[in-house]
Amino acid sequence: MRASTSPNAVALPTSARDLPSSEHSKKIRGLLLIAFGWLLALLIGAGVDALFAVRRLDRASQEVSRRFTARNHALGTIVVSVRVYDDQIERFLLQDQLRESAPDPAEVTKQIAAARAALLDFPPDRDPDEQLLLAAMQQQLQEEETSCAIVLAWRSDLRQQRAYQFIGQQLIPWRTRIFELSAQFSSLDERKLALENLAVAARFQSLESRLVWLVSLALIAGVLMSLVCGWYILRLERQARLRYDALARSRLELEGLSARLVEAQEEERRAISRELHDEVGQSLGALLVEVGQLSKLVPSEDRVTQAQIAQIKSVAETAVKSIRDIALLLRPPMLDDLGLVPALEWQAREISRRSEMEVEVHSENVSEALGDETKVTIYRVVQEALNNAATHASAKNAKVTITQNSDKITVEITDDGHGFDPARQRGMGILGMEERVRRLGGTFTIASAPGRGATVKAELPLHKADSP
Amino acid sequence: MRKIRILLADDHKLIRGGLRLLVEQQPDLTVVGEANDGRETVSLAKSLKPNVIVMDIGMPNLNGIEAALQVTQANPEISVVMLSMHSDESYVLRALKAGAKGYLLKDSAESDLIKAVHAVADGKSFFSPAVSKVLLDDYVRKLKRSGAEDAYDLLTPREREILQLVAEGKSNKDVANLLNLSVYTVETHRSNIMEKLNLRGIPELILFAVRRGIIS
Repeated sequence: MRASTSPNAVALPTSARDLPSSEHSKKIRGLLLIAFGWLLALLIGAGVDALFAVRRLDRASQEVSRRFTARNHALGTIVVSVRVYDDQIERFLLQDQLRESAPDPAEVTKQIAAARAALLDFPPDRDPDEQLLLAAMQQQLQEEETSCAIVLAWRSDLRQQRAYQFIGQQLIPWRTRIFELSAQFSSLDERKLALENLAVAARFQSLESRLVWLVSLALIAGVLMSLVCGWYILRLERQARLRYDALARSRLELEGLSARLVEAQEEERRAISRELHDEVGQSLGALLVEVGQLSKLVPSEDRVTQAQIAQIKSVAETAVKSIRDIALLLRPPMLDDLGLVPALEWQAREISRRSEMEVEVHSENVSEALGDETKVTIYRVVQEALNNAATHASAKNAKVTITQNSDKITVEITDDGHGFDPARQRGMGILGMEERVRRLGGTFTIASAPGRGATVKAELPLHKADSP
Repeated sequence: MRKIRILLADDHKLIRGGLRLLVEQQPDLTVVGEANDGRETVSLAKSLKPNVIVMDIGMPNLNGIEAALQVTQANPEISVVMLSMHSDESYVLRALKAGAKGYLLKDSAESDLIKAVHAVADGKSFFSPAVSKVLLDDYVRKLKRSGAEDAYDLLTPREREILQLVAEGKSNKDVANLLNLSVYTVETHRSNIMEKLNLRGIPELILFAVRRGIIS
């Protein structure tokens, strides 16, 4: 047997200092929580901000193009109206030479009114250049309207006389002037559009840089948090491993301890049994032989001495019997003398003799060359199960079935006693059986219910030494 | 008269001494050797060629049963008397299977040893009376609890006669001569007996006979 280590060394983790206090853990958890919240808020803020900025930019750029379109439209209306107006004035003046129907002067004035209305509708802007152009355009329209009001009143003779002169001196320069003005407007608008686009682009850039800044910040924070979390997780893992190791170690030590206990118990029993049988038993046996000799030496007429000798013999026989019973219980020599199955059969008959329970043993394929530990374990399990069945469950019949196959040996003890609840009643006997079986790497199960008998089953793996 | 040569095998010197004392009081018996364990018994049996070996079952280095098996296989003419503390069927049957002719309980060795040695040297079998009693008790108890009938009652008188002769160690031919029957008829009776009693092999048949007190 190994030198036993102190049982007190079991089950304590290496040092409590390695493990953090719950206060400390709480603080770290709180900090992590705050940091996570902050990071999340940062990300959400950045996202919302970017969303709104993009929407604002979009709106601004739409506004720019809308104003551009509106101005273009207004300008177009003005230019077209003025040109139609000029054309109609011309046709009015030349109506006699061209011999076609003259436009109605009322309709003609409508055109200039439309042009003026369009000019008034021109989207105002506080740009001084534009103001100047607008004023110039207004003045032009004013001038044309004023001059044309007179022309439209001309009668046929006056028209024929002055038409060409008016066209040459007034209408053509007007047209040129309108063209110039419209060209100026256009170029001004183009310039403004470019400027506004530039502004939008600038805002885009500022948004971009802000986003870059926010994302970088979030990234850095994220990386930092990941590092902290990683460190924290590693720390937790290390602690968990430490604890697990300590637990596993203590469990192992506990198992080793109980295994050694079983071992020691078996060893002790064997020693006492041998001691009793070899020393006391044999001496008593020899004594019996000697007493027998003695009785032969004493003449049979000497009744008193013979009776004395018979008494001595009877006492010695009783002693031999008790010693034998004790030795048998401690370590049945059947296991060594006969092998497992005959020993189990012996035990079954022994219990049948002593109790009201009849035991049957069925065996299949069981090797004679099982290892000693396997034999003893099965023997003890059967012994315990049968004793329980006979004494606690008042069973009338019990059956022991033992089967061996290539890699394991299975023993099953079934009785028809009044059963019990294995989940609640687990005495030392059952624990002992379980411990013995587990120690050899086997499995142990009990199936029972009140009123339904019990089945104890143990499966032991076979090692090389056990194979037939 | 030639003395019966005896080998004593027991791992306890005290017991061997006691047995020797008993044996040597008889004029026709002599102890030719003592063995301390199973192996020694096997080798001494080979070299000393005793008529009878009185052997303890529980011995170190090859137990008595294994040793008996080896001895009787190598030297069938040697008769083995098993010496045991146990009267249980498991032991008796194993001893019989190992070829032992006699089975003696240690408690009664002192009174029965000489009878046993003479019986087996004569080719008969011997079993301590206490053994038959235990065997019969077990059998009767089992019958009573299971409600089964005693298979012995199923045997005809002729079959009982043959059972006894076979259990005493007689061959089919001996039985046939004794009862004035053909060997074939004896064989048929024998297999009927085995079937009725549900026995496998001669050792179980002898065990049954001992249990019923047919032989001792």
